[in-house]
Amino acid sequence: MLNLAESITSLLTTATDAAGGLQQAAGHGAAEAAAHGATHATDVVMGPWYVLLIPLLPMLGVVLVTLTALLGIRTKLPAWLTVACLGGAFATTVVMYWNVSAGPAVTYGFRWIDLATGNGHRFTADFGLYVDSLTCLWMLFVTGLGTLIALYASEYMADDLKAGYARFFMAFNLFVFSMACLVMADNLVLMFLGWEGVGLCSYLLIGYYFKKPSAVAASKKAFVVNRIGDLGLLMGIFLTYVEFGTVQYAELFPMVEPYVELVKSGMAWDVPMRVGLIPVLFMVGAFGKSAQLPLFVWLPDAMEGPTPVSALIHAATMVTAGVYLIARTYAFFVVSPIALPIVAWVGAATALVSATIGMAQFDIKRIMAYSTVSQLGYMFCGLAFLSTAGAAFHVLTHAFFKAMLFLACGAVMHGFAGQLDLRKLSGVAFMKGWGIVGIAMFVGCLNLAGFPFTAGYFSKDMILAEAFVTQGPGYSVLGWVLLVTAGLTAYYTFRVFFRVFVGPRHAEPGDDHHDHAHDAGEHGDAEPDHHHGFHPHAPGWAINLVLALLTVGSIAAAGLYFVDKENHGWVGGMIHNSSAYTSAGSAAFLDSANIGMHVDDPVGTGHSADHDDAHGGAHGTLFGQDPHKIMYYVSAVFGVVGILTAAYLHGPKGPLGLFIGGRTKAATSRADGLADAMMPLPTYARNKWYFDEFYGALIVKPLRALSHVFHLIDKLLIDGLVNLIGSLPRFVASLIRPSQSGLLQGYAAGMAAGLAVVVVTVWMVIAVTGGGS
Amino acid sequence: MTERLPLLLPEIAMFIGTCLVLVLGLSPSLAARKMTGIVTGGTLLLAGILAVNTSTGYASQIGMPMPGLIGFGKALIALVGLLLVLLVAGTVDRGYERMILAGRATYNASRALRAEFYAFFLFSLMGAMLCASADDLIWLFLALELTSLPTYVMVVMSRAGSDVGGDSKAWSRAQEASVKYFFLGALGAAIFLYGFALLYGGTGSTKLVEIGAALSPSAEPNTIAIIGLVMSLVGVSFKIAAVPMHFYTADVYEGASAPVAAFLAFTPKTAGIITMVLLATAAGWGYRDTGLMIGGDRGTLPPAADVVLWIMAIATMTVGNVMAWMQTSVKRVLAYSSIAHSGYMLVGIIAGPGNGSFEQNGIAATLFYLLCYGVMNLGAFAVLACLENSSDESELQTVDDLRGLGRRHPALGWVFVLCCMSMLGLPPLLGFIGKFGLFTSGISAGRLPLVVILGLNSAIAAFYYLKLVAMVWLEEPGDAQDRVRPVPFGTRRIAAILSATGVVVLAVFANQLAVSSQEAARRGPGVMLKPRSAERVEPAAPATPESVAAVDRVR
Repeated sequence: MLNLAESITSLLTTATDAAGGLQQAAGHGAAEAAAHGATHATDVVMGPWYVLLIPLLPMLGVVLVTLTALLGIRTKLPAWLTVACLGGAFATTVVMYWNVSAGPAVTYGFRWIDLATGNGHRFTADFGLYVDSLTCLWMLFVTGLGTLIALYASEYMADDLKAGYARFFMAFNLFVFSMACLVMADNLVLMFLGWEGVGLCSYLLIGYYFKKPSAVAASKKAFVVNRIGDLGLLMGIFLTYVEFGTVQYAELFPMVEPYVELVKSGMAWDVPMRVGLIPVLFMVGAFGKSAQLPLFVWLPDAMEGPTPVSALIHAATMVTAGVYLIARTYAFFVVSPIALPIVAWVGAATALVSATIGMAQFDIKRIMAYSTVSQLGYMFCGLAFLSTAGAAFHVLTHAFFKAMLFLACGAVMHGFAGQLDLRKLSGVAFMKGWGIVGIAMFVGCLNLAGFPFTAGYFSKDMILAEAFVTQGPGYSVLGWVLLVTAGLTAYYTFRVFFRVFVGPRHAEPGDDHHDHAHDAGEHGDAEPDHHHGFHPHAPGWAINLVLALLTVGSIAAAGLYFVDKENHGWVGGMIHNSSAYTSAGSAAFLDSANIGMHVDDPVGTGHSADHDDAHGGAHGTLFGQDPHKIMYYVSAVFGVVGILTAAYLHGPKGPLGLFIGGRTKAATSRADGLADAMMPLPTYARNKWYFDEFYGALIVKPLRALSHVFHLIDKLLIDGLVNLIGSLPRFVASLIRPSQSGLLQGYAAGMAAGLAVVVVTVWMVIAVTGGGS
Repeated sequence: MTERLPLLLPEIAMFIGTCLVLVLGLSPSLAARKMTGIVTGGTLLLAGILAVNTSTGYASQIGMPMPGLIGFGKALIALVGLLLVLLVAGTVDRGYERMILAGRATYNASRALRAEFYAFFLFSLMGAMLCASADDLIWLFLALELTSLPTYVMVVMSRAGSDVGGDSKAWSRAQEASVKYFFLGALGAAIFLYGFALLYGGTGSTKLVEIGAALSPSAEPNTIAIIGLVMSLVGVSFKIAAVPMHFYTADVYEGASAPVAAFLAFTPKTAGIITMVLLATAAGWGYRDTGLMIGGDRGTLPPAADVVLWIMAIATMTVGNVMAWMQTSVKRVLAYSSIAHSGYMLVGIIAGPGNGSFEQNGIAATLFYLLCYGVMNLGAFAVLACLENSSDESELQTVDDLRGLGRRHPALGWVFVLCCMSMLGLPPLLGFIGKFGLFTSGISAGRLPLVVILGLNSAIAAFYYLKLVAMVWLEEPGDAQDRVRPVPFGTRRIAAILSATGVVVLAVFANQLAVSSQEAARRGPGVMLKPRSAERVEPAAPATPESVAAVDRVR
């Protein structure tokens, strides 16, 4: 079969000249790559075999859970299988972390794709895993949080035991497998497999309640919007292959190195256009997956999925894939003079816009969704400000506290019949059995708001400080934007907390049906409330355990900032040993070499994680101070002001409202009054600044109109043609048919006539060619 | 002449087997009579083994025109023949044996048909095998007639007479078909015999190799020989049921019972394709080695033959597919589709051997497609042979009788669907690879219009194949389909399942099959012409066993 496949390609190359030329170009690159690759591939250390278990265990989970579904098992077995498989993957990741910290290693699985591209060149992609500390960092929280959230979901999804329990956990496992492929791949193609895999699982899980039209619409929206980003990523991969002739990281990174050298020596504009275009295309993919402007619209709608999914996929892991992609291919971004500034501006704009939208929403899960979008904007800014360590640290802390916030919101949703409207809930933390949820929510809110000495505070500071240190087009403006956004973040975060979790106890149940196999006997200890006999059911042990573990984890995460001070925290140390660092280091070289004085050359004025050691001449200041030092105070002020505003507007009367709140019932007049005064801005924000409507008018409607036109063309022209062609054989047949009379003499006459035609033909041909030849 | 004997071992085995079968089938003992089919199968198995072991090196030493074709063709015939043996079980004497068992008749050797039937069966296959070992026009003519003559009788034998409980209408239709087949076959034979005579008249030789030399462009223009060649090709196209010699096909296939129809669709067609390949190879493509190139770096047929084959190929494909679409009788659909397949194979013959590699070699593609066609077409007919109406043991007539077959008889349903999909050329089945070879060889020969028409025809074919598939698997069976029941001959079912398995499994080994068909399509050194100018000499090494092995190693 291989020969046949080769012959197809060889045929294609010979068939069309244009295609042949293209193939040759690719082949040329491949030849160079082979020369390069041969020298560099030997440098790569062979990774340990057991890292293969990390993707394989979730895949085993997929198989086992599918089996339970096929066998008709209707118990919580799928959940325990999932927890076991993911726990195993987590344990393996920890082992990997302890053993693989010194530079990249590649573990070869099997040859996945092997194609001849014509002219004797081959395109290959392995199922191989690239292990360095960046991989470890990501996999630690992916598998760790995956295990915890699977445990949480075992209880959360229990209402669906009969319907979709196994389906949920199958997709859950498949997600972790895909994420492992994405993060651990040793080449861009396998990474793309994971990239599409997480997209698929996201689609499956958003549309988990497929009987709900809004969930179906949301899953479609997520899928379609992600396609736009994926197209960019895919074209980036194509361009990488055309340019470098390989997709293997271990071969690619050394090949980008000369361009980095070029940038170092101040000739950033000498980098070929096509190389500079690669990161721009990657960036489009990252914007789609990580919900940045203009592709962020899918993420808030994705909250239609079950809350554990929102926590794991749409807050902690999948949406950080864009950050991972940029960190992994950071060398490409460093050599492009435009990529990182675009990332910075898009990230900051996204942070601000989604924070303002979040301020005006009433659905607490949606508020969390917008805050995710907003925090992802911070991470992109961190990357753009050459602080991959800051970005990665924020990814890590955000993964913990945002997952926790979602899980707490999910517990509320689970307990109050799907009620998510913050106007209809109050004082939840003081109902019986809701203590842990309240504490978890409080810690999560402090982190998100950037309250001093929380993990979120340190990680956000790292990014904010770099905004004023790194020189780039308008970076200090972006710094102020991000600071203001930090204040807004603190406000809308605590708005949720003050409204829902403290204050007078009040709860109106939602009307969600999927949530309510309500069992009064089991949850009889719930607090009775004013609402005709509705009993919220307090979370069980699994939910409480997971929340407690996450609370401890996100408090402890702050400690990571003080470990390995030399590299700016534990995460900085991890980045130091990864591909995200090598390029950052060269940027630091730039900084010390004092070359990039042009403001329009961000790379030339680059800055690194270890700026403390290597400060060049172009160090920005804030209030005349070193931004790294003063940022601790500035951002704390913004955070505290935001919290106080929230307390004033939404806090209950008394100590829990910090003595400035005045709320005595579920609703609050102060906030409503302010909103009325600021009209129409709150309405605009509540309607998401009309992004959906804008896209609808700009893209969806014209496309729909166009599709009507095409439909007409299809119906009239194409169908007409097809019908015409379809009737043609019938017509021909009706001509031939009389010849099939069944009569012997008729057939003989037919044969004779055929022979006569042949003889005439031969005679004519011979007459034309003049003889035997 | 005796030096040819080692190549004829399969035929010799077949002949001995035929004699045995003739005697066994007439035995008054039922047990001995029942051995007939087994002996037939054993004979074919032996012949197949002998065919596989045919020495290509020896064949090229003694100057056979296509040494590789001998082993390949005979092995192919024996392989499909084995499936056919399984399929024809129970075709003859079913009612008669039942009458004997019931005591309503005593055994009378002159009334029993078994012996003749199986003997004719083997004779016909033997004729096809002899075509593969031909190097001479007279040999070729005799072999072709040995293939065809038994089939005329088999058509009428395949239906039981009304005296032994057969359907009198079907019986008379079989008689009609048989007579029609015979007369038209005689007409076809007359045409190609006339062509052979002209070839001899124009070149003074009956040897294919010498005819090739006389037709080469380096020789004097030879109009008589060219006309003879074209008439031979047209006459032989009766065997492969190509337009304009196709008229008999549907009537004859419909008149014969399904197993014999399957036999007719394979054996004469194989003999015809092999003959056309031999004639075309003798006449064309030899130019390359002489250095006198026409049509780029590849040889070509004489223009007249080329044009005629081109017209025939297009007409055959189109008429076959268009007519197949119009039919309501399953067997007529399959009959016309087999016409269309002949048209596809002509594309490969027109494309020629190219540079010899499989994807450029039209001859190899044709031979490969012959194998594909043999297996998948047999599977489709086998499903029909496996089913009958419970009331009168008559065969299924209309497409509608297959409605919901997949629900009632899933195994047969799958066989039918797989074989239809393969005939349609859907990947990853065998038929796809076969058609792939035809397409690529046509493209690399620069025959784009022909390839485009081949593609269009594949599209038309999709209409009726998918209709059949939908009928079998998508439709619910109704009351009318309740009377359809499987026949009590288990071997037919085995034949059906084996051919469906072949459609899938052989596709996996397509590479090896492609390599061997490529070997089969190689011309022997005997065909090489004596070069006219000395400086153009490119000595082609004789294909000794060592050199063949070396070629294999290189692959």
